[in-house]
Amino acid sequence: MDANAAKLLGAGIAMGVGALGPGIGLGMLLGKAYESIARQPEVSGDIRTSMFIGIGVTEAVALYAFVVALILIFVA
Amino acid sequence: MKRGLVVAWLALGLVALAALAFIPGGHKTEFSVAQEFELQPLIELPSIGPVDLSITKAVVYLWIAAAALIVIAIVVSRTLKPIPSRFQYAVETLYELAREGIVGSVMKSGQATWFPYIAGAFFFVLTSNLLGLIPLPFAEHHQFGFYAATANLYVTLGLALFTFVFTHYAGVKKNGLVRYFRNWAPPSAPPVLKQLIFVIHAVSEVFRLVSLSVRLFANMLAGHAILGVFFAMALIFQNYLAALVLQGGSILIYMFEIFVACIQAFIFAILSAVYIGGALDQEH
Repeated sequence: MDANAAKLLGAGIAMGVGALGPGIGLGMLLGKAYESIARQPEVSGDIRTSMFIGIGVTEAVALYAFVVALILIFVA
Repeated sequence: MKRGLVVAWLALGLVALAALAFIPGGHKTEFSVAQEFELQPLIELPSIGPVDLSITKAVVYLWIAAAALIVIAIVVSRTLKPIPSRFQYAVETLYELAREGIVGSVMKSGQATWFPYIAGAFFFVLTSNLLGLIPLPFAEHHQFGFYAATANLYVTLGLALFTFVFTHYAGVKKNGLVRYFRNWAPPSAPPVLKQLIFVIHAVSEVFRLVSLSVRLFANMLAGHAILGVFFAMALIFQNYLAALVLQGGSILIYMFEIFVACIQAFIFAILSAVYIGGALDQEH
């Protein structure tokens, strides 16, 4: 296996495995948020605001993996 | 009669789609995603020491964003009406979001002091993000292309540095130098543990800077990379059917990118407010 193939493999694995955790996290976050909106529709505005913040923070973890993959392909 | 017409149109559409699959497409265009984000200087300027002063497209995008923001602010503030027009109402809603939704809901004290910075960051990031979705002629050979100033790590790092500096400035100014840093660790903890917590807190402060900048950068970069790939796919596939299907996908992704642009500006502003508010009212 030459170095370039190893780089591409590493980038693919980094993105794939790195998306697993945030995917589970986003699923839990959205599930809980919708559950609480269904339970208490009158505070849905507050829940939605904090849900969006949570989405942004969780999603960023997957994007760190994306940045690592980009670094592996183009910089390393 | 009417039903027959619908069936006829559907059949005609299907035949047209099938025909599209057999018509050979246009010229194959070479496309590389990485090239879209390379910064070639548009105007070469001499560098002062390590600082390169050349005007790249990121600089131009920042200028356009700032100019658009200034023009909108002046026009809206000069033409305020008791019964708002549609545009004034939109800007007022965003202003209220920054005032009540971001600063008002997160910060306990110093709201009036820090509202200008938080709102400024919110509107500037929002404008730069949305500007990235308009094709502007700053790509290679002055072709139209997508680029966002916030899809550049230096820009987002600069914005995050503002928040980082202002956080500690606000904390030191309100609580005093010694008390601010002492409050990083809870006073009730035993001495050895206190030092450990202090170090952990110091590291987390630096990582806030990294996460705040990389989050915005990676979101915009990933979005624009996907957008570029989809638009270019329609060119690269030598087939009008594939181009049609992919163009539909690129419209969906474009709409999702509008959402991401707004959400990321909101998150940047609200996290800045959380950090500055946390430095003002230390809980220990």
